[in-house]
Amino acid sequence: MDWVFLSELAINGALTGLLYSLFAIGLVLIYKASSVPNLAQGGLTMVGAYVVLALARDVGLPLWLAIPLAAVVMFGLGFGIERVALRRLAGRPVVMILMLTLGLDIFLRGTTLAIWGGTSRSMELGVSYDPLFLGDIFISRIHLVGAGVALALFVAFMLFFRTRTGIKLRAIADDYMASWSVGISVERGVGLSWALASVVAVAAGVIWGEIQGVDQALSLLLLKGLTVAVLGGLDSILGAVIAGIILGVVENVGADFLDPLVGGGSRELIVAAVLILTVMIRPHGLFGRHDIERV
Amino acid sequence: MFYRLSGVHHANYVSDSRIFKVPADRNLTAFIFLIGLAAPFIIPSLYLNSYMLPWLIWTAAALGLNLVTGWAGQLHLGYAAVMAVGAYSAIHAARFGVPWEFALIIGGLTSAVIGSLFAFAALRVKGLYLALTTLAMQFVMDWVLTHSPAISGGSHASLQSPTLALLGQEITTDTGFYYVAFGWCVLVTIFMLNLKRTGLGRALVAVREKDFAAAILGVNSFYYKILAFATSSFIAGVSGALLVATFFFLAAPEQFSVAVSIQVLAMVIVGGLGSIIGSYFGVALILLVPGIVNGLVVTLSDGLGMQIDVETLAHIPNAVYGALIVIILLIEPLGLGKLYGNIRDYLMVWPFDQFKK
Amino acid sequence: MQEKVEAQNILSMNSVEVLYDNVILAIKGVSVQVPKGEMIALLGSNGAGKSTTLKAISGLLKAERGRISRGEITFQGTDITEALAQKRVEMGICHVIEGRRVFEHLTPDENLTAAAPRGMSRSTLNAEKEKIYGYFPRLAERKNSQAGYLSGGEQQMLAIGRALVTQPKLLMLDEPSLGLAPFLVEEIFGILQKINKDEGLSVLLVEQNALAALEIVSQGYLIENGRVVMHGTAEALKSNSDIQEFYLGGGETDFHNVKHYSRRKRWLS
Repeated sequence: MDWVFLSELAINGALTGLLYSLFAIGLVLIYKASSVPNLAQGGLTMVGAYVVLALARDVGLPLWLAIPLAAVVMFGLGFGIERVALRRLAGRPVVMILMLTLGLDIFLRGTTLAIWGGTSRSMELGVSYDPLFLGDIFISRIHLVGAGVALALFVAFMLFFRTRTGIKLRAIADDYMASWSVGISVERGVGLSWALASVVAVAAGVIWGEIQGVDQALSLLLLKGLTVAVLGGLDSILGAVIAGIILGVVENVGADFLDPLVGGGSRELIVAAVLILTVMIRPHGLFGRHDIERV
Repeated sequence: MFYRLSGVHHANYVSDSRIFKVPADRNLTAFIFLIGLAAPFIIPSLYLNSYMLPWLIWTAAALGLNLVTGWAGQLHLGYAAVMAVGAYSAIHAARFGVPWEFALIIGGLTSAVIGSLFAFAALRVKGLYLALTTLAMQFVMDWVLTHSPAISGGSHASLQSPTLALLGQEITTDTGFYYVAFGWCVLVTIFMLNLKRTGLGRALVAVREKDFAAAILGVNSFYYKILAFATSSFIAGVSGALLVATFFFLAAPEQFSVAVSIQVLAMVIVGGLGSIIGSYFGVALILLVPGIVNGLVVTLSDGLGMQIDVETLAHIPNAVYGALIVIILLIEPLGLGKLYGNIRDYLMVWPFDQFKK
Repeated sequence: MQEKVEAQNILSMNSVEVLYDNVILAIKGVSVQVPKGEMIALLGSNGAGKSTTLKAISGLLKAERGRISRGEITFQGTDITEALAQKRVEMGICHVIEGRRVFEHLTPDENLTAAAPRGMSRSTLNAEKEKIYGYFPRLAERKNSQAGYLSGGEQQMLAIGRALVTQPKLLMLDEPSLGLAPFLVEEIFGILQKINKDEGLSVLLVEQNALAALEIVSQGYLIENGRVVMHGTAEALKSNSDIQEFYLGGGETDFHNVKHYSRRKRWLS
């Protein structure tokens, strides 16, 4: 057994996993504030990346300005989505809300591609492609940057959920009716969570766009993001980060073992298996809240 | 058309549990059935083949999903995978030399067996988590399909379907294909219409509303969930097989991908959960409208002398498809079936409801 | 004279009708007046329309697809019939909804923070919290445990405390005694009375436990089938023979009386 190789797989897996967390944090934000599973996060991520590119290429802004501007645009878009669509279906069965977010996802993807075309574009963040060496271990710089962004967002949101606004969002997730009764604006809270998730989508879109190009494939991150979110517990940001690392390592190391056996392409299979096992064995994930049933 | 309720009195349970409680409904259905029968002589072959035929088969498939999602209340995001199982096993059987009648049944039964696996997930979780599990199972099925050349048909990953032959008659014409699809769709519809009136249908609804309350009433929710999944999978399998045999002629894994699962679910929900007529509407809307809108855009841009990018044109149907789902859900979360129901209820007592207030 | 009465009543509700789903008529012309600084009880049996009355006042009807189809509600002289729930809380109406609905996954302290009005300064919030912990010392002891695991009485105290953070002028409570041991009911009612005296807070109390409620309120309304069928001071209600028999218990109830009472009910409504 080659331990150096194995630890290289594990470390790179963990870094990739943190990038999944970056995506999953968006899902968790919305679920935490409204118990709505946002299956449109893939579409949002794609839109985020395209908006950055549109501002950078088509308008000609420098990237350091285009990214925050895109974040502002997406913040507005997130608010808008809640206002126009989600609010009308509040309190409906989950099947309708799932379908709504799926419809949104399809719509966002279709519209983005209709406007900007399906050819893959590159993000060109300017991060060097030269690998870093940690002893004998080979590490990609962009993955390191992305992992840093994920951790920074994690810390930021952990702090945010301790602020008064953050506490109100958690209250909304607990009980809509009780929130209304003490004057919390549930609509604005849920809107804010969508807006924040859309901003996270910009971050994920930029990093993933740099890694695999800005195209339709960005929305395929949804399965991995969902798996991370569910494994972490759907409403736990800490869970999303830890589950991301776990999934990244399991996927990378597992694929190395399985690929020769099944002839390649086992990553998707591993992710799906982790999702199924999580739901079957521990539906509330590693850190998810149980519904409290007091006797 | 008007005053349809006048003179309709149900004096006993037998008459009250008839399929068509209102004669006008029965007449309307008979009329539509006749149009369906006569369609090959009315509608040009091109439209028959590219619109009517897929519409009918997808409706049959959507009704199957409606059984499990609309009636039994179990979310299912892996329906296309179940259709794939039916399609592949039926075609392999037919290629092996099994007569098509049996090949279709083999396809349906294999689907029912594999589809029941999904039910085991449903026994443990429901709602969102069930949706996610079935979604993951769809990915696993996809993976198995694309990674086993023995199933998917070698390096090109496509499997030629042998010529369809039923009752010793080879079917090769568009009209023939149409009648096969029509027959299957009518069969499934009749089954679903009757389901409402049976103990099975009521048990499924009870399980949907509250499974443990149903259990207290003596409804074995375990048994009914599996039964619902198995039945709907059977319908899925046969529909999948017919889709390949009469429409695609070539089975390929991407015909049954995740996107297709989502599409069937969209058909059911846009049509209205638990609504049979709604499924017809939902399939028509999701299947046909995006193409029609695209055609309109092309005509319009030509008329206005604008040049629209080919890429843009290629993606407009998708944007329209997504927008349709969102818009219908916002207008009426219970779907087109409910909208139809509202109009029907209004006409039923027209013009007397004008005086109600 | 009329104006003077208006000024004395912090809340006045005039022949309000509520429709759910545009079809179900839940209350049929209810009029209730809450004089400033007093405690008023709404009594009645299950499904009589008490909770609906409170929801009409707090604006929570909308969440249950109900609406006020007739009548008007004024609060401190302002018409609030159409106002949003949030706006009403800002104006000073707070509704403690039925069933001890605390935010289960938050700590009691966070529960109080969540209810803080927008723009309340940190020091004011802390002062409010101190005051509430003063009223409910049990909450102070457990302020950092998870609210979902508090006992029933503690949850009810937290729900009331949470409402007090919004600095209400009118506090409405929906069955605070539900499922609580009698000594806890007594404790909570005692605290309510104290808050009412200390701060001049007006209270509108919905109760099925008429006996306990009539001990602390000054006036009561009896609601049946969506209508007010009786209104009077607590003393008058307590001595009313019908109330005694059907709501307070005790006394011999025979079929003759039930018939008599039903007849009277029909006549009243």
